[in-house]
Amino acid sequence: MYLVPASALDAFSGAPSGKLTALLTRSEDDSAFDLLDTFDEDLRQRGMCLLQVGADLNLWTSDRGMLEQSGVGAPAGFVADLPSGPVKDALGCVPALRSLVPLGQGHLSSAQLALVDEEEKTQARAKFHVLTTEAGQGVAIARLQSLRGYDKAFGQLQNDLALAGAVPLTDAHPLKALFPDHQSYVAKPKLDLAKDATAFETANAIIGAYLPVARRNEQGVIDDVDVEYLHDYRIALRKIRSVLSLFKSVYSEKQTEKLKQRFSDLMAPTGRLRDLDVYLLEREFFFDLLPESLHGGLERMFEMFAAERGQAQQTLSKHLKSKGYEAEITKLIHLFDTPKKLHAGPAADAPAHDFASALIWKRYRKICKIAAGIDDQTEDEEVHELRIQCKKLRYLMEFFKPAFPKDEFKSLIKPLKKLQDNLGLFNDYSVQQESLKDFLEGLGAGDHAGNMQLAQSVGALIAVLHQRQLAERQKVVESFAAFNSPETQATFRDLFHGGEG
Amino acid sequence: MKIIACYSNKGGVGKTATAVNLSYALADAGYRTLLCDLDPQGASSFYFRVKPSKKLTETKFFDDVERFTKSIRGSDYDNLDILPANMTFRDFDVFLSRMKNSRSRLKKALKSVKSDYDVILLDCPPNISTLSENVFSAADGIVVPVIPTTLSQRTFQQLEEFFRENGLPPKKLHAFFSMTQGVKSLHGQTMDEMRKEHKKRFLETQIAFASDVERMGVHRAPVVATAPRSAVAVAYRQLHNEVMERLNKA
Repeated sequence: MYLVPASALDAFSGAPSGKLTALLTRSEDDSAFDLLDTFDEDLRQRGMCLLQVGADLNLWTSDRGMLEQSGVGAPAGFVADLPSGPVKDALGCVPALRSLVPLGQGHLSSAQLALVDEEEKTQARAKFHVLTTEAGQGVAIARLQSLRGYDKAFGQLQNDLALAGAVPLTDAHPLKALFPDHQSYVAKPKLDLAKDATAFETANAIIGAYLPVARRNEQGVIDDVDVEYLHDYRIALRKIRSVLSLFKSVYSEKQTEKLKQRFSDLMAPTGRLRDLDVYLLEREFFFDLLPESLHGGLERMFEMFAAERGQAQQTLSKHLKSKGYEAEITKLIHLFDTPKKLHAGPAADAPAHDFASALIWKRYRKICKIAAGIDDQTEDEEVHELRIQCKKLRYLMEFFKPAFPKDEFKSLIKPLKKLQDNLGLFNDYSVQQESLKDFLEGLGAGDHAGNMQLAQSVGALIAVLHQRQLAERQKVVESFAAFNSPETQATFRDLFHGGEG
Repeated sequence: MKIIACYSNKGGVGKTATAVNLSYALADAGYRTLLCDLDPQGASSFYFRVKPSKKLTETKFFDDVERFTKSIRGSDYDNLDILPANMTFRDFDVFLSRMKNSRSRLKKALKSVKSDYDVILLDCPPNISTLSENVFSAADGIVVPVIPTTLSQRTFQQLEEFFRENGLPPKKLHAFFSMTQGVKSLHGQTMDEMRKEHKKRFLETQIAFASDVERMGVHRAPVVATAPRSAVAVAYRQLHNEVMERLNKA
């Protein structure tokens, strides 16, 4: 399959093609389409293109050709909610939490090109789906059809299309061709930093890059499209906040405190909604953990969560639409666009590489020290501390990735991720228990029978989660040893401490 | 895979029109179909605008299955390929003996070039000879167009006799009345007689004489494709249904 500029099609009409003649037939059909993808363009990145035309879905894939499915409600929404069919099957790769959203609109028509000989026998054929936008941009997705025994004509057709500017669909996407002004959402922006950038420049660049990421997610949170918008919004802010706390002395003390407070204030109104999102996502997991006899209480709890979530979403949505919020985030973006107004600290001019090396080395040493004291008997607090330090180390390393050699860096990140997975689960189970306890304590005195039912289920759940937490806890010593192999130790020394230590 | 022969021991009975429209109806119904043009006087490949292959006149051609498959041409329609042939009598014989003796080998060869057909339709030359015996034994069914005239009555009797004499199962014969004309009372009378005489041999479907069919030479396309709603197109589809029903039962 190929992508051809729509403007090139008419030139084929009646044009000679070797010994053959090209005949173009346009069909009369014309219908409005929505180009669907996830917000982060998961389909485009997989070389897929999805159009919704009324109740029909048309999907172009690189490996399965073009697929069609009808009977789809508008808007399409989550893949899991689509009626079963070939398009749904092919969309199995789409992350379950991501909803399909329209990224652009236009009109769809079709055309057919045939290369015919002097007997008017068709020897090769191309079928086009022609996509045009209101702004006048147009592309055609071409499917070539070879006819048995006419290989030469097929080669000729491929040649003709290539001359008309056709590119394989795997190398180009209708989204880019149709909407040249469309800005793709990127959750992890690539930083464009010089090798000799200073710590100050690096901090400004990271914050300056993540502020727009947060902004891009606002509308999705307001419209409540899927939970990933808020998740990404919070991650962007958390990254900014970790820059402020990890990049010691890059900004003046006063400046740092002020910024920390402002970003903390941005983050605060989002916490409850995210918590509730997470609870609701855990629904199936919790149900699987308990016997059916205890599902009644869970059902009740999740109903309460769902109701509260609706309110929390409205509150946050209102906040994000408020003038105060708009003014604050605009000011912050402006501030980091023109960093001259920021007060630099004593470490501002340090080269990013040296600055990062010192911070990473210090953090790594700290992690080793904590880990050395952890055995089966250590307090949970220590394990939590290890998790937090690992997280900080990971952030630091991600931030300064451009300043260090790629392969060595990768060899450290991978085992670190594994260790973090273990610590993360340990933490999740612990946080879940805490919040379930809070939930029980927060229950009103009114409905005694209902509360009993809740307490039974939630109590059992806490017990199961506690067992899970213990199991993860058991793995920590081993996971750390796996992370901190002699190779890891050597690489940390080499990269961040001049090979010494 | 089913092999259907379109055969008549008398010329000018609409045999090629039947092969062309039946093959189209098969393909349109979803059967992957290969139409083999074996009749040098016929023109089924002409109707599909496919030029005869020069290679096909070479005597040893059908010894080489790969070359056989290489000369197959895609028609303008989905699921329908054409073997444009203009072959010698001897080639035809060799071809048929291959069909008969090594159907599995042929099938294998076709599979190897990704063209496992559901139906192979043979548009056969209009003569009765010892060689025709091969067609009759290789095919799962022989579709025979018959114009309801006294002369045709005789030729069909000869065909049935031929089957009996050569120990071929007559139930493979699926005759139908072709180019019938409602105004000719003789036609109606002959049809009644023949249906009585050759019980079960005749299909229900009749293909009436139609100018649409005559115009096929101008359009160079099956009438079922160019005039799908015409009475004759409907009749050809019905013929297709009836033939496949019988073959699937057998």
